[in-house]
Amino acid sequence: MLEGGKINTRQAIALMVTMVLPTAFLFVTSVTGHLAKQDGWISLLLSIFTALLIGWVAVNLSLRFPGKTLFQYVELILGRWLGKFVAFLYVLWYIHINALIIREYGSFLVAAFMPETPISVFMLLILAISAYAVRNGLEVFTRVNEIIFPLILVTVIVTSALATPEMDLKRLQPVFVENGPVPILKAAFMPAAWMSEIVMLAVLSPYLTQIKDGYKIAATSTLITGTFLIISFVGGIATFGPEVIGGWLFPALNSVRVIHLANFLERLEVTVMVVWVAGALVKISVFYWAAVLGSAQWLELKDYRPLVLPVGIILFATSIMLHDSILDLFVFLGTAWPPFALTTFQGGFLLLLLAAAIIRGKVGKRK
Amino acid sequence: MRNKLACLALLVMIAGVLGGCWSRKEMSELAIVLGAGVDSAPGGQVRLTLQLARTSAFMAGGDGGGGKEPSTWVISDTGETIADVQRKLSAKISRHIYWAHDVILVFGEEAARGGIRKYTNFFSRELQPRETMWVMVARGEAKDILETGSELERTSAQDIGFLARARTGFSVIFKDFIIMLASKGGNPIATMVEIVDRGVISGDIAKDKPTKRKGVALTGTAVFDDDKLVGWLNMTETRGLLWLKGEVLKGVITFPSLTEPGRELSVNIIRGQTEVEPQYDGESVRFYVNIEVEGDLIEQQSVHESVLEEHERNGMEKEMAREIEGKARLALDKAQGEYGLDIFDFGEAFRRKYPREWEKLKDRWNEVFSGAGVEFAVDSHIRRSGLQGRRTSVPE
Amino acid sequence: MARFVKPLRARQFGRGQSNAGHSGVEEQPKENDYSSQDLQSLDLSADLQTNLGQIKAILSECSDVIYREFDFAQDDRIKLAIIYVDGLASKSQNSDQIMRALMLDAPLVEERVEFTRERAFTLIKKKLLTVHQLDETNSLGGVIDAVLSGDTVLLVDGHTFALINGTRGWEGRKVEESQTEIVVRGPREAFVETLRVNTSLIRRKIHNPNLKIEMMKLGQVTRTEVALAYIKGIVNDKLIAEVKERLERINVDSILETGYIEELIEDNPRSPFPTVFHTERPDKVAAQLLEGRAAILVDGTPYVMTVPFLFIESLQFPEDYYERSLVSSAARLVRLFALLISLLAPSVYVAIITFHQEMLPTSLLLSLAAQREAVPLPAIVEVYAMEIAFEILREAGIRLPRQVGQAVSIVGALIIGEAAVRAGLVAPGTVILVALTGIASFTYSYSSSLSIRLLRFPIMALAATLGLYGVICGVLTILVHLSTLRSFGTPYLFPVAPLSPGGQKDVAIRAPWWAMSRRPRLVGMNNLRREAAGLKPKPPPTRGKQ
Repeated sequence: MLEGGKINTRQAIALMVTMVLPTAFLFVTSVTGHLAKQDGWISLLLSIFTALLIGWVAVNLSLRFPGKTLFQYVELILGRWLGKFVAFLYVLWYIHINALIIREYGSFLVAAFMPETPISVFMLLILAISAYAVRNGLEVFTRVNEIIFPLILVTVIVTSALATPEMDLKRLQPVFVENGPVPILKAAFMPAAWMSEIVMLAVLSPYLTQIKDGYKIAATSTLITGTFLIISFVGGIATFGPEVIGGWLFPALNSVRVIHLANFLERLEVTVMVVWVAGALVKISVFYWAAVLGSAQWLELKDYRPLVLPVGIILFATSIMLHDSILDLFVFLGTAWPPFALTTFQGGFLLLLLAAAIIRGKVGKRK
Repeated sequence: MRNKLACLALLVMIAGVLGGCWSRKEMSELAIVLGAGVDSAPGGQVRLTLQLARTSAFMAGGDGGGGKEPSTWVISDTGETIADVQRKLSAKISRHIYWAHDVILVFGEEAARGGIRKYTNFFSRELQPRETMWVMVARGEAKDILETGSELERTSAQDIGFLARARTGFSVIFKDFIIMLASKGGNPIATMVEIVDRGVISGDIAKDKPTKRKGVALTGTAVFDDDKLVGWLNMTETRGLLWLKGEVLKGVITFPSLTEPGRELSVNIIRGQTEVEPQYDGESVRFYVNIEVEGDLIEQQSVHESVLEEHERNGMEKEMAREIEGKARLALDKAQGEYGLDIFDFGEAFRRKYPREWEKLKDRWNEVFSGAGVEFAVDSHIRRSGLQGRRTSVPE
Repeated sequence: MARFVKPLRARQFGRGQSNAGHSGVEEQPKENDYSSQDLQSLDLSADLQTNLGQIKAILSECSDVIYREFDFAQDDRIKLAIIYVDGLASKSQNSDQIMRALMLDAPLVEERVEFTRERAFTLIKKKLLTVHQLDETNSLGGVIDAVLSGDTVLLVDGHTFALINGTRGWEGRKVEESQTEIVVRGPREAFVETLRVNTSLIRRKIHNPNLKIEMMKLGQVTRTEVALAYIKGIVNDKLIAEVKERLERINVDSILETGYIEELIEDNPRSPFPTVFHTERPDKVAAQLLEGRAAILVDGTPYVMTVPFLFIESLQFPEDYYERSLVSSAARLVRLFALLISLLAPSVYVAIITFHQEMLPTSLLLSLAAQREAVPLPAIVEVYAMEIAFEILREAGIRLPRQVGQAVSIVGALIIGEAAVRAGLVAPGTVILVALTGIASFTYSYSSSLSIRLLRFPIMALAATLGLYGVICGVLTILVHLSTLRSFGTPYLFPVAPLSPGGQKDVAIRAPWWAMSRRPRLVGMNNLRREAAGLKPKPPPTRGKQ
């Protein structure tokens, strides 16, 4: 067995939330707020539905091939050679998306906290820690997440609560009329792409103690993530208003920066950094693990641990080379990436796979 | 396992060796900015004035000679942009200029009249300056404001910061200021500060005669047309402005007694709330301003009326409402008449209710606002009366 | 006393003879050289002198071994000899219950029973010896083991069996108040160095036939007695099998303390964190056993190990369970906070004053900055120096003779700190911080505090290079590491990660006893329920009506 760990439903839900929330929380508000202004929460609702749909597809596929990961059952659906090819693409995809995440992570820390420090330091450190976690398997970073997950939720709630004196819910009005449907739809792409990272369930499901709970996991975690994104978005708009929010790179950070209570509770953004780094560790570990596991299954190895180091090096190099600067990264994430992700690996491909599986249906089910 | 540990140890060590210089700033290498002033300088340049804390003067306890040493250092220079001046200043200041604790940001009158947007970007783009610093406009030069001292606080910047925090006048943090700058439905306003006489110092230090002190006070509100300063509201009008913006937090309302002419009563405000309801019939815009206020009676010059008697109390409350409306009218008239500017964010209220109509009106909103009728409905209550129910110093 | 209980026999579980280590080739014993022999396989001969000769050869140059040959019932019919170690065996017992019985009392018995050479052995055993505890052996090794453990061996001429009389009676420390784990409320007694006393202390708490105490001897040279205690029916049988397997794997020359065993049976030997718990409190061990853990007792040390050890136990103290739950819960939270302080306070301090000055309120920043104005050293150097100074003082405090200890601690705490501040070498804030960190590290379990104190140094280095980011990375690394740890199969961070909602009743808070109706899930899974439902006290139903 490549991965001996098993995680229960509760752990899986927490893992799926932490896997999406930290980076989404930080980046989504800006793009959504810029495009859809105060109606961004409608976009978020739309993206929740999209993610629920994609989650359903991913779980449905997995249930057809119990005990098999995405990398394995594509071969059953598409046949050995085409299957191998698609599985390979998926491994590349997980490396690509993780490189993006690591780059986002480093860029944020450099831009918002420590401009003098080279970005590679942040990326190397976090990669080293997650390599350690990944080497020790799924159960380990799941357990780490069980400690981090409540911290993330509590921090988001507490900082939002502390910022309420700065908020004015009137800034959410008027609803819908000013912007109309087109910007709202456009703004929904980015959060949808983010939340459809739930596709990870297709890799994770063999390692669930209750595979049948897959739908529950997908739905619950998407709803939790969506709720927190909406809280963060509404908080951001209520604090800054639709005109200002699109200008910030990290509105969630600014929302915390404006907290000033009792001459003491001020300048709390470092706590955000703390929690965010912790969340990002889990996120990066999950994708790292998927890439390593996928390549091991693709190569049909008995143990994935020898691959941890090489994949880590590839991740580091890719994340450095992909983009020149945070500006490039932002433009890419805001424009090209969401449609790309949604039409291919995090949506389109899965739908095609499901269709193929249904057509060849009985083959899959019997296995 | 061993390799892994070795790798981690190596990473930590590498981090330790490479580190050292990156973002580390020893506290004794910081020039802590407490107040910043922006003035315009000849040739379209900008003059930045910094009030820096002389940290050695802040020693607690007996050793540091606290209080005797001057606690601030004010220094300024001119340049093309604020960042440019900052760079120039760093040639004069031996430490890193550290913005994170900047309490106030003061714009000089002339700079503000020339358009303030030119100067604000640095403060929102840079990491260190906070969105929570207080934004003010100086009557005169910002530099002069920063060069003053303080009697109760260590530095005048902190002094002014506390004044602003007390919210007796209109005060605004940088975040809200840039929101106002970005909004079409209202014009920005900021606290107005100037140098005034602030009492005398007496006691041991000034043996012979009390020394007069000058210091900074909040004296009203600066009114902008888009980003250009156009005028001021005095303190009384500012109170009216606060009622209209619904930002009254603290303060005292003083109004004449109904039954005893020439005698006044004062009520301390506990809670106030304002709602603005626009109405548009396709031609004219009207605003209905509903103000709800609760307060405690804290002083009564009149002798015979008593807050305990319901009808007398009702009379007081009515008089109080009239006073509030009067103050608000004062500010409104000035905004509508003298300046012709919506400084109350009425436009935002209108936009929320009539988003489609707003599209047509927004470009000439100030004009529409000036012609709009405003009706007040003030609902005031006296909830408590301090420790006394009726006056006892009057012989029956 | 406890030493009268059943004699200690090696290898009652497991692998029988081969425990002494050397297996295989059976050689004829060379004269006077028994060191490489497997003594257990050498039988006693029927001739007393041969036996004595062999034993003397094995125990040659052992000046503390005493051989006493005497005759049965004052005549020459039966030759006897006793062998014991001076100082280990009780002399009064030897003279009263063995020699007196055999030499003086025997004629009285002989009036009714006839002693012959052939029947002597059984009759001595059944009718004469008044020793409480009697056992027999036919191997030379058994004899040697018994003698060296403090028993008295009686050899009877003409018999290939030797009688082992339980006469252990050496000088040992009395059961005293615990020195290292002090409680205000609760039993005060602590374990001592004698294994039997220790087992009796546990048995005194748990009067139940299911409390099992199995013995074995470990260490080829020291032949130390090791006991494994558990409560059958509560403990998970797999755990016991695992512990036994790990204990039996041990093949070392000596066991002087539980620490020797600990390092040989740990799951993660390289981890800085302890995965085995030590205590010198019998009540603690009893509580551990009742939760489904196993205890390992080693002769010669007052420390008893229990496994599995979960990280959360660092914060749990016996008193928590004796005091009211609300008070105990508050104390738990204080300890948790103190744990975080002792791990992180110096590094967070360094990070804030050299990287994140914006986090401080302005007035605090100004007064700290004023303090630091006078200090020539970078904050990290200052904190490192003070922390190391504190560690030196602490270490010295343990080793110092009690008489000078007080003087040194005063010198350390007052003079050094005060002088350093006055000389402008250290900022007063740093002194406060280091003192706080040091004190905080004594609030939770000592063995965990050792690891945590160690780990705070690398985190400080990270804080000095990367600020709070470095601190978080350090903490996350520790967290990942803790998540990989297991103690005898149980995840170290249980019941926090993996989360067990029921287990939370004994983590950050200590729920009242009537609410903690179940044992920790992964530990006591064999028998979860430990109390009846509905124990919450309430006033009798009639009271309201009257």
